[in-house]
Amino acid sequence: MNMHAAPQRTQAETALIEAFGERLSELPGDGAVMVKRDDAIEAIKDGLPTRRAEAWHYTDLRRLLAVVPPYDQTANPKPLTPVVEGSAVLPVLNGVVHGKAPSVGGVAFQTLSEKLIDGSLAPALDPRDADDAVSFLNTAFVSDGWFVDIAADAKADAPIEVQNVQAGGQVHARFAVRAGAGAKATIVERQSGSGAALSTSVSNLLVGEDADIVWLIVQDQPETTTHLAQFNAELGKNSRLTLFVMNAGGKLVRQEVRVKVAGEGSDFQLRGVNLLAGDTHCDVTMVLDHAAPNTGSRELIRNVVTDKARGVFQGRINVYQQAQKTDAKMACNTLLLSDDAEFSTKPELEIFADDVQCGHGATVTEIDRNHLFYLMARGIDEKTARGLLVKAFVASVIEELEDEPLVDALEARLDGWFAEHG
Amino acid sequence: MPAVQETIEQVRKIDVDQYKYGFESIIEVDKAPKGLSEDIIRFISAKKNEPDWMLEWRLGAYRRWLTLDEPTWARVDYPKIDFQDLYYYAAPKSQSGPKSLDEVDPEILKVYEKLGIPLKEQEILAGVQKAPAGGEEDDSAANDNVYKSGRVAVDAVFDSVSVVTTFKDELAKAGVIFCSISEAIREHPELVQKYLGTVVPTSDNFYATLNSAVFTDGSFVFVPKGVRCPMELSTYFRINEKNTGQFERTLIIAEEGAYVSYLEGCTAPQRDENQLHAAVVELIALDDAEIKYSTVQNWYPGDAQGKGGVYNFVTKRGDCRGDRSKISWTQVETGSAITWKYPSCILRGDDSQGNFYSIAVSNGYQQVDSGTKMIHLGKNTKSRIISKGIAAGFSQNTYRGQVSAHRKATNARNFTNCDSLLIGNNCGAHTVPYIEAKNATAKFEHEATTSKISEDQKFYVMQRGIPEEEAIALIVNGFVKDVIQELPMEFAVEAQKLIGISLEGSVG
Repeated sequence: MNMHAAPQRTQAETALIEAFGERLSELPGDGAVMVKRDDAIEAIKDGLPTRRAEAWHYTDLRRLLAVVPPYDQTANPKPLTPVVEGSAVLPVLNGVVHGKAPSVGGVAFQTLSEKLIDGSLAPALDPRDADDAVSFLNTAFVSDGWFVDIAADAKADAPIEVQNVQAGGQVHARFAVRAGAGAKATIVERQSGSGAALSTSVSNLLVGEDADIVWLIVQDQPETTTHLAQFNAELGKNSRLTLFVMNAGGKLVRQEVRVKVAGEGSDFQLRGVNLLAGDTHCDVTMVLDHAAPNTGSRELIRNVVTDKARGVFQGRINVYQQAQKTDAKMACNTLLLSDDAEFSTKPELEIFADDVQCGHGATVTEIDRNHLFYLMARGIDEKTARGLLVKAFVASVIEELEDEPLVDALEARLDGWFAEHG
Repeated sequence: MPAVQETIEQVRKIDVDQYKYGFESIIEVDKAPKGLSEDIIRFISAKKNEPDWMLEWRLGAYRRWLTLDEPTWARVDYPKIDFQDLYYYAAPKSQSGPKSLDEVDPEILKVYEKLGIPLKEQEILAGVQKAPAGGEEDDSAANDNVYKSGRVAVDAVFDSVSVVTTFKDELAKAGVIFCSISEAIREHPELVQKYLGTVVPTSDNFYATLNSAVFTDGSFVFVPKGVRCPMELSTYFRINEKNTGQFERTLIIAEEGAYVSYLEGCTAPQRDENQLHAAVVELIALDDAEIKYSTVQNWYPGDAQGKGGVYNFVTKRGDCRGDRSKISWTQVETGSAITWKYPSCILRGDDSQGNFYSIAVSNGYQQVDSGTKMIHLGKNTKSRIISKGIAAGFSQNTYRGQVSAHRKATNARNFTNCDSLLIGNNCGAHTVPYIEAKNATAKFEHEATTSKISEDQKFYVMQRGIPEEEAIALIVNGFVKDVIQELPMEFAVEAQKLIGISLEGSVG
């Protein structure tokens, strides 16, 4: 360890740098945006992060990102049927906005290619730190996406569903949502496709004072796709954000969640279900900042890992010095179902305020034999009993959403996954 | 609760700079020239009359070290260390030739007397105890020291060398070898060669590699098959010289069915400059063997402004090599400006067990980054981690631990509990656990909490007429009880007092 690094560009790094040269002239953006793109590719030239970078400890991107497919102009994915019927759908297909924006009362839509061209998106393209590889990749190549502006006190009845869909090659999308004071809305973010692609996506959410937002990320990329995504949010005074993440696909998946609980009295809830099978490597990394007094958060992540899949959950809660009376609890529970399955977790606490209640718990186990016995003693065969227990393990997280159409839709997906891998 | 009352009394008497082992002794020393090079290593090796293989081993480590970078991942912050600006060897001058107590420099004996470390066997054997002078607290540490109270064999390490080891003959009768590592290299080369570096290889990490190159002394313990070591073994480390790095190496081997309990204590004078301490400790437990290793670490922590203090960069690792073997680490960390220390267990043997109990108290500008690693390799291996961090003043207190189960570690079990307590609003408490399961039958549980002393608890105690400071001491002692009870009894009393002292000035 700690040997002097001898940098030699990997095949993937070379492919990314070459792709940038080829795509540059077609990517939208004014001068300011182009400077950010150049900076981002320079950072990639310095090398993708390895496990030496603490944030990438369990996902050695440099090693794992083996192949980068070229951008495929001919890829032609179709919009997806929304998770909840009647949602307002905003597709980005092969990296380009598709169709006209729907009309939703109190909500304005704009394509991000416009905001790249006029430069108003430039400030949002800054990386968080030197290891922010997802941001570097996305910033360098981002082509389009949606900006959703929810007016103050607007209440969207149906969910707004944004989609990033690929059919091979490379897609790099972005979504930005601003929720005004007192607004209430449900946003569904779909990350899906049908090809062997490199897909990146960055979402930014600003939650205004007293606003109440539910955000679902549903990722079900095929087993050949590398999917690198980031979700950033900042919470205003007395606002609420519930983020639900469901990962059920992909070859190499990294979903970052970075939330700043910045307004006094605000509350953040994270619920995650990771269903990992095949040869998937799936990493959910959360950084949560409690930056104001009297804030609360609960994070509950449940993982089911089978076949040769490898799962990772890194969760860090930072409590700032001024964030007195913070109440933060994080739990990560994992079921390992096969001999070759792996799970690594790193739940961190960084606390600088003294009057707080913070805790985290993590467990990794197999199915409880007593539970299994209980069911089998009632005449249920082992396979069915196992299925029931595993499903119950994750379904309890989904049910906490307390929104019937959402719960039904997600449970249907859960059933689908179990039918395929159970 | 007389013990608590005593703590409070003690705390009251001491002023801001409460470190009581900070005196410096003027002792003639034999030093190597400043700096680090192959010549210095040859010098150290020659000084110690080492065999050629040992020199080669050191030089190999040194060459490796030159290719390494100092690690930066720990949550500690300090100016860059100039490794060429240190003395790598300092030994009291009179220290040559065979040792008997009569030949030891009386000044050194005085130091240990002041520290309350008994080096005179007969005194303890006869059960002679100095009565406290009329109940008056004198300023020496002699009265409340663990070493006074029991029959403990001591290896005293002063700067770079071991000055004396007590009870050697009696231990030899039981077949136990307890001596300085330099002596072991000369007298028992076959054992040293067989085990040295097998737990912490020379290439392990920056500081361990540096230690392998320049280590000057330390303790060696060998407990043969089936022997239960008849008394507690102990090493007492003292850094006295200025700008001197202390690099000690401890190697403890418990053969099949053997048992040994080992204590380690350490202090250093108060200085404005920082001192470097980079030790390596290796424990090896064969089938059915058990090793208990307890540390009360009380190096000079620096003054109230964060000036001075010891940099404590230590690699401690135990290897449960045999089936059903057991290794326990218990540590009370109150000293050092910076602590970087992760006593670990490699659970290689089937049914082996590793325990880690830790209390880390930080105050002033101390920085602690400590924890453990439990590496489950064998079947049915078990580990338990209980860590209590208490941060006060402007200190930063980090728990960093790793628990991993490898493919073949069926039925690996771990329970981890790390709690942090914050006293005051300028300190930080951090928890960084790494949990890695590669076996479906592994069962890992981890829980961590951070909180301040609850107002309810304090109110409950205070409304029974107990003053605030005492109430806090009581609650803190309750908070760390799980760990304290794992210490040998005499140590536990000392540890409880140390906690009281370390927290002085943080109440309110």
